[in-house]
Amino acid sequence: MRIRIAHTTTYRYEAPPKTVTQVLRLTPRNHDGQYVVNWRIDLSRDCQLYQREGAFGNISHSFTAEGPFDELSVSVEGEVDTQDTSGIVRGAVERFPPALYLRDTQLTEADAAIIDFAEATRAKAGADPLTLLHALTADLNETFAFDIEPTHVGTTAAEAFKLKRGVCQDGTHIFIAAARHLGIPARYIGGHYCRTDDDGPQEAGHAWAEAYVDKLGWVGFDPTHGISPTESHVRVAVGLDYLGAAPVRGTRHGGGHETMAVSVHVTPASRQAQSQSQS
Amino acid sequence: MLSRTADNLYWLSRYVERAEYLARILDATQRLSALPLAYVGTGNEWESAVLTAGCAGSFFKTYETATEENVTDYLAFSTANPSSIRNCFEMARGNARAVRTALTGEMWDAINGTWLELKRFGTGPGSREETSRFLRWVQESSLRFDGSAYRTMLRNDAYWFSRLGVYMERADNTARILDVKYHLLLPDNERVGGPLDYFQWAAILRSVSALTSYHWVYRESLKPWLVADLLILKEEMPRSLASCYEAIVRNLDAIATHYGRQGPSQRQARGVRTRLQNSKMDGIFQRGLHEFIGEFITENNRLGMAITEQFLQ
Repeated sequence: MRIRIAHTTTYRYEAPPKTVTQVLRLTPRNHDGQYVVNWRIDLSRDCQLYQREGAFGNISHSFTAEGPFDELSVSVEGEVDTQDTSGIVRGAVERFPPALYLRDTQLTEADAAIIDFAEATRAKAGADPLTLLHALTADLNETFAFDIEPTHVGTTAAEAFKLKRGVCQDGTHIFIAAARHLGIPARYIGGHYCRTDDDGPQEAGHAWAEAYVDKLGWVGFDPTHGISPTESHVRVAVGLDYLGAAPVRGTRHGGGHETMAVSVHVTPASRQAQSQSQS
Repeated sequence: MLSRTADNLYWLSRYVERAEYLARILDATQRLSALPLAYVGTGNEWESAVLTAGCAGSFFKTYETATEENVTDYLAFSTANPSSIRNCFEMARGNARAVRTALTGEMWDAINGTWLELKRFGTGPGSREETSRFLRWVQESSLRFDGSAYRTMLRNDAYWFSRLGVYMERADNTARILDVKYHLLLPDNERVGGPLDYFQWAAILRSVSALTSYHWVYRESLKPWLVADLLILKEEMPRSLASCYEAIVRNLDAIATHYGRQGPSQRQARGVRTRLQNSKMDGIFQRGLHEFIGEFITENNRLGMAITEQFLQ
């Protein structure tokens, strides 16, 4: 499936800042189920964009824009060709042994409630990791309601689990916390999801988790949709939690209050066959 | 477009590219064998030229030992060797004639002119100087053909199939050089830095016109692992495996977009490119350079078959 992605983040500043520095993790990489056909990053200010490879193998770009200005927009646009691999991720850049992804972070710490949930799922589904992970995904999908209101980017897994509602990021954090508690390495994946019912631009990308299963390698689980990633998922960044895979992180010097608007268009790219020439 | 036309265009480019590659190998070997024996050691350079050209089997059926005369003759002029330079040009011209109307005038002139001029060289030049001149002429003919294709062809499926042929052949050739010479590129080579190795590495680089590029990229004296890095992973180096696959994927993608559907060859090519992009030289050495190149050649042949099945039959 060929997916066209256009992702624009616009910042508006009440008072113009002196400088703004940002790190962008917006560029997907190739692996067996995904091929980036073309990709470009556009900034509304003229500045140097440096490309780096992060520790987890993510491609990141960083820039510093010199002010003053009252608006800054970062847009990425491109096409990615994907294939369904039943959620199994092969051929991706792996810089660390899977055991590293057992490491807890503040956002993914399991509290008593999550531990109970994880243990209850294990009691129900048995010890086979793959069955267990699928059960976790299904349970989370059932009990956890999608709601953009109550949570924010800093909400921890424990807080979101108490609310029983949140966005894809929260569901993913809970999944990761539970999986790590059960001794299964798990990590956060930031990316995009191509919906079949296209109802215009979305306000955020998508997120799901990957867990390491012996003999299979890394397998994706999307608790928000209750499935494993399909060809509709475009994988962009890997991290221990949201902060490690966040699409944009930055800092600024000077300036007043800022507002941010994100617009993400993820649509199936229509391939227009031109008239065939016979020679 | 008819599969047959695509097939002719694809092989036309492949044969021209192969002729150039053979000329490069002969040229590099001639340089190497012109060095004093003390530098080059006792290894037979001409034998390794036959191996790199991939026709050792048939060669040793005809000849017992590889010498300058018979290797040059076999790789360049022999009618018995199906992929001698002479036969490559013959076949390229045969393919070109079959799709004369799909070519531009310049392309036809280039390949037909080459074919006519080939007769001038008869059964082969006598002296080393003449051989050098001949090899230069082969490379220039290939350049002329390639340049006229690039400058004059309409950018449609005909062009993409012709480019595909160039890059498939080129990837195969670079991989073949690496396959024959890989033992020289291993980092634990005991005699690192000896004159023998230095000239061997230079010869490898020269056979893919990369000696100057090497110095631009690394600004260092020749190191075997950097030579391997340049020829395998550096996308900016036009004959590296990575660069060939960038072009193969791009052209296959153009074909897929044009026809509105894609198949196994696109997936295969992307898979290989992804692996090249996600690899690092340390990792390749750890897993074994020879295994890596062997796998690449297998994958490349698989892609060749996929292209044939999907488009050319």
